[in-house]
Amino acid sequence: MEANASARLKRRVATVAHRVGLFLAMLFICLPGIWIVLSSLRPTVEILAKPPVWIPQQVSLDAYVAMFSGVGKGGIPVVDYFRNSLIISVTSTVIAIAIGMAGGYAFARYRFRGKSAMFLGLMLTRTVPGIALSLPLFFVYARLDIIDTHFGLILAYVALNVPFTIWLIDGFFRQVPKDLAEAAQIDGCTRWQAFWQVEFPLAGPGIASAGIFAFLTSWNEFALASQLTRSINSKTLPVGLLDYTAEFTIDWRGMCALAVVMIIPALILTFIVQKHLVGGLTSGAVKG
Amino acid sequence: MTAKRLSAPTLLLLPAVLVLAAVVVVPLCLSFYSSFTPFRLTRPETFFTFIGLRNYRNILSDANFWWAFGRTVLLLTIALNLEMLLGLGLALLVEKASRGQRVLRTIMMFPMMFSPILVGFQFKFMFNDNIGLVNNALQSLGLTQEAIPWLIEGHLAFIAISIAEIWSSTSIFAILILAGLLAMPKEPVEAARVDGCTPWQTFRYVTWPFIMPFAYIAMTIRSLDVARAYDIVKIMTDGGPAGRTELLWTLVARTAYSDARMGVANAMAYFSILLSIVFTVYFFRKLAAARTQIGAEW
Repeated sequence: MEANASARLKRRVATVAHRVGLFLAMLFICLPGIWIVLSSLRPTVEILAKPPVWIPQQVSLDAYVAMFSGVGKGGIPVVDYFRNSLIISVTSTVIAIAIGMAGGYAFARYRFRGKSAMFLGLMLTRTVPGIALSLPLFFVYARLDIIDTHFGLILAYVALNVPFTIWLIDGFFRQVPKDLAEAAQIDGCTRWQAFWQVEFPLAGPGIASAGIFAFLTSWNEFALASQLTRSINSKTLPVGLLDYTAEFTIDWRGMCALAVVMIIPALILTFIVQKHLVGGLTSGAVKG
Repeated sequence: MTAKRLSAPTLLLLPAVLVLAAVVVVPLCLSFYSSFTPFRLTRPETFFTFIGLRNYRNILSDANFWWAFGRTVLLLTIALNLEMLLGLGLALLVEKASRGQRVLRTIMMFPMMFSPILVGFQFKFMFNDNIGLVNNALQSLGLTQEAIPWLIEGHLAFIAISIAEIWSSTSIFAILILAGLLAMPKEPVEAARVDGCTPWQTFRYVTWPFIMPFAYIAMTIRSLDVARAYDIVKIMTDGGPAGRTELLWTLVARTAYSDARMGVANAMAYFSILLSIVFTVYFFRKLAAARTQIGAEW
């Protein structure tokens, strides 16, 4: 009896500790974001107030109105930046996923000479820091006259995303048992059909998550974009954020508002694709 | 060789190889060559002057360069280790949660949606000595009276940058380790429990070996992307105060675009590339080892 009671107590303490730990972790993760949203809705006076005003006294959408009201009226060409970001990120993600699926499948399903070396070689191209890559790209793009174009950035981002897209997709195909596709082929599928009917649906969640990674990388990239873009022709949101910093002053509220605009699409997208990430990627196939 | 003779894997890998060759390999060859010239953007003709190893000799004898290099390695070591530990902890916490897993997972991915530049800006805002959330909170709680100069004092700035870096990247570890935990078959854990293992033993000898490849995948993805710290530092301190938070990457950018000394910058850039390669190869080998350990086919 005594042992029972103490075990029960122990379990309860563990549950509470788990909840508290979880809460604190989530708080730490969310706080910066919440603070940004809050600051974007407050008048600048309140942000700069001393002593700090913790509870917003006035809430308004002025910062957003100012931002969208166009150049010259305290706004920046945020619609153009947004469109550029969207076009560049979506296009480069789609292309990178297509290339990555082919490559990942090759690594997961075929044996060939120099496989490890090939894989490592692909990864090494990704290790090149954006700023280091921007030096020669800047030079080459200037020669080809594709600086400040969508095409230039899309090309760069596809190259940026392909290596780890291959990496992730390879990993997820690897977890789909080979036997399944073989069984399908014995049942009369071609390899192509076996891929689309059996392996692709099972690896789907993995491919979706690779897509999220690729999209977010393009959406958020700064080091290359800051050198390869010049004007509203191709400037993306991360570069546009710098429009709010002057030499010595920063428009905190405006920046916060733009930050919110940048995060919302990423948030929506992640939330949509998230349900494909639901776990036990292959457990059904292995157990069942 | 005709198209028919190309084997399937070659054909499948061809697009990837072509894109990477065009955008990465060829430009890098160009920059490698230019690291042996006194190339300046403002004087294109210098591109064809060959000066051998002079650029490399200059930067190797430059104390600022070595400080930046050392600082970069220190930042990476601290950040990667803490991110790994915190990510593992977070993944275990979320996996144990019985309700609201979907919401928790979304929140967990939250920092990943933030562009590094945004992370930099947001922590610059929060660590602002005058109006920042951190100082405001400390003062309101009565923990300190004066404003702590987070981004103005060298060491504090380094800490603030590390915190920003860790905040932004822990979730990559968490999400991949969580994916591993969820993909893990339940029988071994159940068997270990039946056989009388303590929770720690179960974790150490059953769960950990299984999720290790996932942890290393996360590590490698991170080490592929270590240079994203550039964006954070660029906006938080831009290498300041007085170069006390100058990293290799900010130094490269400053040399190349502010001073227009492309040749020297390219030589420095090769050190940063080398650094990334060392990190990646290290984790890649760990990953391969971990995969063989759980008997996956390589």
